[in-house]
Amino acid sequence: MHITKKGLHLSFFLTLVLGLTFALTSCNSSSIETTIATPTAESSSDAKEESQPINKTTSEGGVFKLISSDPPTLDPHLASDATSATMIVEIFGGLVTINPDLEVVGDIAKNWEISLDRLTYTFFLREHAVFHNGKPVTAHDFKWSLERACDTLTESLVAEQYLGDIVGVKAKLRGKARDIKGVRVIDDHTLQITIDQPKTYFLAKLTYPTAFVVDKNNVEEGKRWTRNPNGTGPFKLKEYTPGELMVLGSNPEYHLGAPHISEVRYLLSGGTSMLMYENDELDIAGVGLADMDRLLDPSNPLNKELHKAPPSFSTTYIGLNNNDPPFDDPKVRQALNFAINRQEIASLVLADLVHPAKGILPPGFPAYNSSLPGYEYNPEKARQLLKESTYGDDTNKYPPIMLTKAGGFGAAVSLDLEVILESWRQELGLEISIQQTEFASYLQDLHKRRFQMFDIGWIADYPDPENFLDLLFHSTSDNNHTNYNNPIVDDLLVQARTETETEKRYQLYQEAERLILYDSPWIPLWHSGEQYILLKPWVKNYNMSQLIVPKLRFIYFD
Amino acid sequence: MAGYILRRLAWTPILLLTVTLITFLLGSYGPGDPVELLQGQYSNPEVVQRIREQRGLDRNIFVQYVHYVQSAVTGDLGESFKYRDRTVKELISKRIWVSAQLGMAASLISILIGIPLGVYVALKQGTWVDITIVSITLFFMSLPVFITAPFLLIFFGLWLGILPIQGWGGFFDTRIIMPALVLGIPGIAMLTRLTRASTLDVLSQDYVRTARAKGLGEFVVRSRHILRNALIPIFTVIGLSLATLVEGSFITEGYFGIPGIGSLAIEAFFSRDYPIITALVLIIASAFVIANLIVDIGYHFLDPRIRY
Repeated sequence: MHITKKGLHLSFFLTLVLGLTFALTSCNSSSIETTIATPTAESSSDAKEESQPINKTTSEGGVFKLISSDPPTLDPHLASDATSATMIVEIFGGLVTINPDLEVVGDIAKNWEISLDRLTYTFFLREHAVFHNGKPVTAHDFKWSLERACDTLTESLVAEQYLGDIVGVKAKLRGKARDIKGVRVIDDHTLQITIDQPKTYFLAKLTYPTAFVVDKNNVEEGKRWTRNPNGTGPFKLKEYTPGELMVLGSNPEYHLGAPHISEVRYLLSGGTSMLMYENDELDIAGVGLADMDRLLDPSNPLNKELHKAPPSFSTTYIGLNNNDPPFDDPKVRQALNFAINRQEIASLVLADLVHPAKGILPPGFPAYNSSLPGYEYNPEKARQLLKESTYGDDTNKYPPIMLTKAGGFGAAVSLDLEVILESWRQELGLEISIQQTEFASYLQDLHKRRFQMFDIGWIADYPDPENFLDLLFHSTSDNNHTNYNNPIVDDLLVQARTETETEKRYQLYQEAERLILYDSPWIPLWHSGEQYILLKPWVKNYNMSQLIVPKLRFIYFD
Repeated sequence: MAGYILRRLAWTPILLLTVTLITFLLGSYGPGDPVELLQGQYSNPEVVQRIREQRGLDRNIFVQYVHYVQSAVTGDLGESFKYRDRTVKELISKRIWVSAQLGMAASLISILIGIPLGVYVALKQGTWVDITIVSITLFFMSLPVFITAPFLLIFFGLWLGILPIQGWGGFFDTRIIMPALVLGIPGIAMLTRLTRASTLDVLSQDYVRTARAKGLGEFVVRSRHILRNALIPIFTVIGLSLATLVEGSFITEGYFGIPGIGSLAIEAFFSRDYPIITALVLIIASAFVIANLIVDIGYHFLDPRIRY
């Protein structure tokens, strides 16, 4: 999965890749902490919205045009891809949402209280929140929705990932219970949710569509109910011709503040986004590497419309199968790490569009450790390590090594990878061959751990170190594709799961990350850098973040 | 003749059954799984297994096949894996019609320019006109879509600003012009060369000399005696290429943002959306059967000596 291409679906050639990628919701850690510390975060967030520089006299109305691929579904409970989620967060809503400052704030929940043991969340719903058809939203609607998301017949692929912390969800998903034990309606406007262990990231998970509220009557209209969805979001679905066009109209009654623009038009049939942008057929477009030089030239009029979007939380790496020779010897793995010059490759080959990775967690991510030394380029040391390894420094006697990469279809591999392979050849004398496979086969082989060495990336599903470290490195995790197994790391990760004190918890994760880096099951390469976006000068207040958060209601035209 | 057509039609179901069975087996034994792909890079094998069971993917492949055939006969082609609230029929029908219209427009361009041009250069065989025109058409045939599409887009869309860059409005909308040109231009060269060769072959036949000898006008000789006979191989090529209209064109559709079948097909292959793949195979196979039959019947009218 080419994680660096995630986010906005702006170019036709990316849609295939993007269609397969996993959606994410993220926000920064400190903000979650604040929210939890002050359950009445809602009032402060409202104040922030009002303080935004919006000139009411010139800003109402207008049509915002963008390009997207066709969303596989508009059913919040089924969505597991970025395209669908991007649209769903504008049409539907849940208890909580993420504001433009990336803080978890109330959506339909006005505020909430967290019990002292951090297991029970009591949500107080806004009394005036309504579905698009005017029907009030109650706690019963939430209970029904959460149970529908976890019903086996709904066939959600992500319910367990996003809601699995709630007591009783696993039983419901396996068809062993009718209700979710941990979801209780106190009264029409009070909902109580109990989770299995204290988890600071639980609220952030509830901002993902799987936890959104749907209208029971609407869903029971039949399988095609999403053609006429009765959501609670800032926009209503006005027109939808699958594969061609989706039009969203503003919802003037929206409880967090009505959108400023009157309509959003998603062009779904593809096209050449750059040319469409230049021809004013789009208000926003992504920028490919091919157009970069031209746009970065200050004499190009489009240069003024070029904006930098903040990076997404991701890490690109090469995974090494710890059970496969020669990677069963940590010294060989370390040697490979020491033999590449990340800084130089990032600057010379990748035009500084990425940040060289020193560790596993991306910068800005909760528990990110800025003092990690990382693997500095040190060919001497690399050769020394190879010599000390059980395989020795005579690389002719090494077992054949193959690196597998998704996509490519026989075309040249990316230049950075070429340079890395060449460094290993020159510095260590290691010949590594490349295999390119199509994504479906790649995914299957990855999950079956058939690769000796593989090129891939990971992007956070929610902003918690657990989503990187526990998921990818615990010896019993289904997603530990490198077969990495260190009992001390396992212990630290298990401790971190239930540690309630954030600082201590992050220390545990940092210690685990340090040990993992030393053992080198990965060759961490890059964290994604800032991405360029073209935005028409008349579009104001567009939230550049790559995260899937409701952002269209804030836009206005000038 | 009627007997021949009936015999041919009787074979069709058997052919379609074989084709779908092969598609089914390839899907089942090939790598990749639609449910796993839907879940993405994050994997939870238990969830994947549960949904595979729910969708009947864990059953014996032949049982699945029989079920498929039973519902396909009633017109139910199943539901997409990826587009979770849509039936295959719904996903495909509109897009096939779009691709077919675009394909027809492209074919018209190829035929209306290619055939007359072919006859013309055949009559001028060996002169500089012949060489120049054949070279020009060859040049255009050699241009890949990656060049023609962006060129047309920049030229007509951005510089002249007379054609919209993206979208689809049907056969009589200006937005069909550029994609139809991109798809039709390579066909011009092919048809010109084919018509030229075929006409040259006919020109040296005895019956052409006879026609002239008995004093027929040049126009009658050319249209009734030369072109009609020269058309037989051309007719075969055009007839069969009509079957490919329903296949769509992934790249061209992508450049111009046309909601055709090509992009859906590629997407279905990559996401292992078996119900869509099988339905497309069925439709394309049927289209070939029908086109073949039409071509065979057409021969009889072009050349009454051909009998079945």
